[in-house]
Amino acid sequence: MPIQWLDKLIRRARVKSPWLLHFDCGSCNGCDIEVLACLTPVYDVERFGIVNVGNPLHADLLLVTGTVNRRNGRVLTNLYEQMAAPKVVVAIGSCGLSGGIFRTAYNVIGGVDQMIPVDVYVPGCPPRPEAIIDGVFLALDRLSRPAKSSDRPPLKPVAGRSSP
Amino acid sequence: MVALIITFILLLPVAAAAGCLIVRRDNLGNGVILITGLALAAAALMMVSIAPAGLTAAELGGRTFEGVILAADMGLLIIFLYYGRRYKSRAVLFLSTAQMLLLGGVEWLRPPWVPFDAMVFQADGLARVMLLIINLVGPLICCHAIAYMRNHERHLKLEKSAQPRFFFVMLVFLGAMNGLVLSNQLHHLYFFFELTTLCSFLLIGHDKTPTAVDHAVRALWVNSIGGTAFALALVLIRVSKDTLDLQRLLTQGHSPADLLLPALALLCLAALVKSAQFPFQRWLLGAMVAPTPVSALLHASTMVKVGIYLMLRLAPMIQGTFLSRCTAVYGGFVFLAAAALAVGQSNGKKVLAYSTISNLGLIFACVGLNTPPALTAAVYLLLFHAVTKALLFLCVGTIEQHIHSRDIEDMRGLYAVMPATALMTVAGVLMMIMPPFGVLLGKWMAMESAATDIPVIMLVVAGSALTVMYWARWAGLLMSEPVVVPFRPERMPMSTWAALSVLCAGGAGLSAAAPWLYDLLVSAVIAPGSLLPVYTVHWGIMESAAGRFAVFPLSLLAVSGCLVSVLAFRHANRGRAVSPYLCGEQTAEPCVFNGPMDQPVKAGAKNYYLTSIFGEERLTVWLNSAAAVLLILLLGGTL
Amino acid sequence: MNHALIILGIGLVAGPLLGGLAGGLDRIVTARLQARTGPPVWQPYYDVIKLMAKELVVVNGWQAFCVYSYLFASMLALILFVMQSDLLLILFTQALGAVFLAMGALASTSPYSQVGAHRELLQILTYEPLLFLVGVGIFLETGSFKISVVMQWKDPLILKLPLLFAALGYVMIIKLRKSPFDLAASHHAHQELVRGVFTDFSGPLLGMIEIGHWYDTVLILGICSLFWATGPVPMAALAAAAYATIILIDNAAARLNWRWMLGHVWAMGLALALVNLICRHQG
Repeated sequence: MPIQWLDKLIRRARVKSPWLLHFDCGSCNGCDIEVLACLTPVYDVERFGIVNVGNPLHADLLLVTGTVNRRNGRVLTNLYEQMAAPKVVVAIGSCGLSGGIFRTAYNVIGGVDQMIPVDVYVPGCPPRPEAIIDGVFLALDRLSRPAKSSDRPPLKPVAGRSSP
Repeated sequence: MVALIITFILLLPVAAAAGCLIVRRDNLGNGVILITGLALAAAALMMVSIAPAGLTAAELGGRTFEGVILAADMGLLIIFLYYGRRYKSRAVLFLSTAQMLLLGGVEWLRPPWVPFDAMVFQADGLARVMLLIINLVGPLICCHAIAYMRNHERHLKLEKSAQPRFFFVMLVFLGAMNGLVLSNQLHHLYFFFELTTLCSFLLIGHDKTPTAVDHAVRALWVNSIGGTAFALALVLIRVSKDTLDLQRLLTQGHSPADLLLPALALLCLAALVKSAQFPFQRWLLGAMVAPTPVSALLHASTMVKVGIYLMLRLAPMIQGTFLSRCTAVYGGFVFLAAAALAVGQSNGKKVLAYSTISNLGLIFACVGLNTPPALTAAVYLLLFHAVTKALLFLCVGTIEQHIHSRDIEDMRGLYAVMPATALMTVAGVLMMIMPPFGVLLGKWMAMESAATDIPVIMLVVAGSALTVMYWARWAGLLMSEPVVVPFRPERMPMSTWAALSVLCAGGAGLSAAAPWLYDLLVSAVIAPGSLLPVYTVHWGIMESAAGRFAVFPLSLLAVSGCLVSVLAFRHANRGRAVSPYLCGEQTAEPCVFNGPMDQPVKAGAKNYYLTSIFGEERLTVWLNSAAAVLLILLLGGTL
Repeated sequence: MNHALIILGIGLVAGPLLGGLAGGLDRIVTARLQARTGPPVWQPYYDVIKLMAKELVVVNGWQAFCVYSYLFASMLALILFVMQSDLLLILFTQALGAVFLAMGALASTSPYSQVGAHRELLQILTYEPLLFLVGVGIFLETGSFKISVVMQWKDPLILKLPLLFAALGYVMIIKLRKSPFDLAASHHAHQELVRGVFTDFSGPLLGMIEIGHWYDTVLILGICSLFWATGPVPMAALAAAAYATIILIDNAAARLNWRWMLGHVWAMGLALALVNLICRHQG
């Protein structure tokens, strides 16, 4: 009984205190400005306990904007690796989802999910802050479920990937 | 019984030293050193357990002994003159000649007169504390030196081993110290005082490189200033009093008319020189060219402690004088100044040297305050500083022989290379600055007793903050990545292991036992016999009117906290290892990140040494001038 | 014996309870000052519970050693305070905690963590003399370092030691990690050094640092409240007023670099303390 109660408390705390890491994976900065807009008094995501920590070792949530290319794909994986479980990933904007208008560029690998497992996709070019906040909450829903980090597929090595 | 032990403790080191010279075989020589060490430690412990007593002049053969001492005095000065000529040092020549003239003057005008019932050697409370420091810490350093010197000579590729000479001087040094703290007649004390100068000169110049010789000569002439001041003081005392007997001088006190007070000021100057206080610190800094056990010996158990001993001896005589007050401020200033210089240093041995000067400054400040609590603080600091500093010096020596550098920056991540030594160094550092360890207990007492003196306490609090800064950063970087699990101590020679671990465990154990040491040793130093004790001890808690330090309970808590933390360490090593944050650009190699053009770049951060503020070149001049002004005030105030 | 145990319990519980609450209030007040709503008052508890339940990710095992020692020292300092022990001993114990935190950060090779640790050491260097002078000032007024004696003092100390109280203000700002002296690590996320000393601590270890910070907060507010120790109400009022002032300063000030911090706080703080001590005791 106390175990269940504790478990419930912990899951509630996870939902109530998502610390996020925002990583710009070569975005045009359109999405990034919208992400930062969420922190302003108008949207004030700190109401929900959301803090932008800027450090993978502290973060629970990875917000990725922009396309993944060969150079920053490795950085993205590194950051994801450094985050402590349980962790969720939100891909933001057309580029983050699929590579967007850059998807055929010679250096672009594609969307975020080509490198790391993504939990929530927020479409838009750029998405509105409301959409981003909504996406974060969808991701939190995943955090509040009993943690099963083992059901994630293992990360694929960078070198084995070719451009589409 | 007492006579036997005193004779034993005085003669054994000299006999053993001679043995070292004669026995040229390595193993045999080492055996002599170890057995001597054990015997000295046992004798010192026995000395503590029996009632205070001494040797009178009658027992020593009266006049003959005086003659021997006088001849030895002159012999020493002739040796000084010889070295002065050989190394062309005018200062040594001049100061030694001056001392000869002064001594001759005393002999000619009013020869020291020792009645047959006067004590020549006496083991009272203070002498016992000193005996413990000398004969417990000293032999441990000698023990460490066995393996150290073997490595040292292998490294230098000497054809003929200089080890017998080295150990000869080391052991004579211990004997000289024993004689010094046991002497009750000031002119005998002077002889031993000069003998320690000679020993330190020989040890500093042991390697015979040009730098070593240069620094040794510097040590000789700077210490000769102290010797000259001492000789002058002897003349002044002899002119105004009919005795050179310390106990009698203490009971007689001084009247404003006589010349005792200037003489005391001169003795005080001699003590400051010996303890390498500003502006005389250069000889001690230069002494680092010697093999590290020498530094350990000078800093921990012998040379610099002479000054403290002398001041503690004279403390009752200067109580309430301007001299005493001035010493307090001066000591506080040196505490701050040396700590500031230590902050700007990345050379490990120099940090240790400045920290010694700094701590001695604090002890001088306590002696200058001259209240019973302050003197208690001084004795505690003296005792624990000796143990901890010996440990730290020996650790640095061991590290230096392994990594061939004494720079703190090169010790980054030392735990991966030398886990046991790194851990003991960290322990030593923590013992210097952390509660509930002994040095901090002493500092706590010092602060509580200095609190009524606003100038002194201002200097002490600032110095204390600087102290934390330069120690903490050193301890921190020893533990830096990469960590190797499981813990496997590195291979060390048995003697090194023994010396380091005994010092480490002894320092921690003595700290926990500090309240009982108070009843056993310390209170006898402060108020022999009469008066109420300053601190009451119950359940291992030391309590005075002003404060309370729960030494033993805190030690227990610290041990349990440490155990929990060690468990946490072991648990953490089972956690998922990640690389430190390098903006996501880290590579598989530790502390290397992916730079421009996909090239690996080493990530690195150096310590803050704040050389723009605390740089040695910048600050020393100013600090020396300020110290000199204080010193002139100190000396001039007595006239 | 029972009495002692109760006091021990109060000490252990008061830290997280009051410290967490103070942290939550701070976040709300700060948000309101920025025209935001801010998180609920128990947000710090959510943060810590979440952190404690995260995966254990370590850069270096010694960090765990240092964090546990830090928390232990901070708890010990507060317990000693509640047990009305010796003021200087308490200050030494809390310094022990601060040093362990810096040592933990030095155990990582990340430059962010290293620089953060050195800034933390500079902060310790800056506030320690003032903190000890506060102890000395209290001793000179009351004749004892024991808090039990200070608590029985009938007059408010702040009337005798106003300048020293102002000097304590500097200490509180540094110790609570508030602007303009939050260079080692801002208590709010994000700064030029990522997270300064906290950069390479993660999950449960970070949570424990947070709990240690709660204990530190209560201790420093407790020391502040000694300046009006005539009863529980004035003590609480003084601590609350000081805390509110510090939050205001935090929101109004920009971060300074270490030269400014060291120079300004030592010059101003030591001068304030010196003037006050000399006026009271050698005039």
